[in-house]
Amino acid sequence: MPSFVRKAWLIYCKDLREEFRTTDHLLSTLVFGTMLVFVFSFALQLVEAAPEAIFPAVLWVSIVFMAILALQRSFAKEKDSGALDALLLAAGDRSILFYAKFLYSLTVLLLLEVIVVPLLWVFMGAAGTTVHMPLFVAAVFLGSWGLAAVGTLLNGITVQLPGARLLFPILAFPLFVPLLIGAVLCTQGALVGETRAVLGWLYLLAAFDLVFTIVPLLLFDYVLEG
Amino acid sequence: MKDALKSPSFWILTLIMLINISVIVYYAPVEKTMGIVQKVFYFHVASAWVGLLALAVVFAASVYYLWKRADRASVLALASAEIGTVFITCTLLTGPLWAYPIWNTWWTWDPRLTTTLVLWFMYLAYIALHGGDGTEARKRLAAVYGIICFVNVPLVFFSTRWWRSIHPVVISSEGMGLTPKMRAAMFVSLAVFSLLYVHLLAIRMRAISLQQRVKHLKAELFA
Repeated sequence: MPSFVRKAWLIYCKDLREEFRTTDHLLSTLVFGTMLVFVFSFALQLVEAAPEAIFPAVLWVSIVFMAILALQRSFAKEKDSGALDALLLAAGDRSILFYAKFLYSLTVLLLLEVIVVPLLWVFMGAAGTTVHMPLFVAAVFLGSWGLAAVGTLLNGITVQLPGARLLFPILAFPLFVPLLIGAVLCTQGALVGETRAVLGWLYLLAAFDLVFTIVPLLLFDYVLEG
Repeated sequence: MKDALKSPSFWILTLIMLINISVIVYYAPVEKTMGIVQKVFYFHVASAWVGLLALAVVFAASVYYLWKRADRASVLALASAEIGTVFITCTLLTGPLWAYPIWNTWWTWDPRLTTTLVLWFMYLAYIALHGGDGTEARKRLAAVYGIICFVNVPLVFFSTRWWRSIHPVVISSEGMGLTPKMRAAMFVSLAVFSLLYVHLLAIRMRAISLQQRVKHLKAELFA
């Protein structure tokens, strides 16, 4: 294994191990996610609309809220314990750190979604609709990929500045817009069975993911400098 | 303010702005179906143009800052973002004035409208991140964010464009849907607004530099 991949893999494993040793953050994010599901389903139960019309929007709003909580962890825990410099020395190349943290964020996000999405599915009464499963899974996966990539990059920015952590959602929201439009329309396509029509949106999601996975390779050195 | 009144460029610009307004009011013909409300177009398009131009300047200055670490580039980026915000606000305010009588709605989720609104949010986020206190970390991180925002604009535009569009296309592959006189008035307006941008940029850059210098001197004094 080339050393770049190996180093990233080791940091990734370390992060996951650490996450599962103290599950408080993962657990509280999960509880927050299930509460979101409950609040949305409760608030929308009187709205007379087909589930496939409102489910995609509610799904992605819930995922984004969860992501904003979950993605602020990646660099914050090292910064708080003063271990970021040591980690930088150990990794050598800074982009290694980005890819390790990105994979870790993506894994956490997907783990949360595995529990929250089916819950939302049941609560919103979408269980009766036929769904194109591969497209649905692809939309959720590519959407989470983009959220994790942008979130990791921005988390690297906000942890550097004292008192700037509140800025994270403000910096993230405008960047999430194209991703969310694509993800919502893909999910809707999967629910109503218009798979061919929304294929273009899947490509847009993939393009977004590609851009925000490659751009950090060029920019991340500047983020973690000093 | 006193300084501004003394500078010749202020008076020259005031004169040019007055000429621009008279060109829009007297020279440009009244549109046949839309009537007088179409005149807002000359302000609307010119502000949108400056808003986009300002983002390109933020991008170029950010790249230059990361490359050469010239403080002036960072000041330029911040000043440009601030002025861009003002012009994008003008675009967002003049749009509905025209849209209400013509489209019968104040707002719609059209690609251009959505992109402009997202651009406005990005400017606000950029300014919040930059903060203007002139520490090295803020300048560097704001430069990174400025570059990401510029990369994001085409993604926003194309994602919303596939979605839906009812906005009139001013410059398309078939040429422009404007009479020669209207076109002349539009180009005058674009040029004048660009000059206004450059003028404001110079003033704002000076103010930010002075602000940072005062902060620096204060820190030195109390250290």
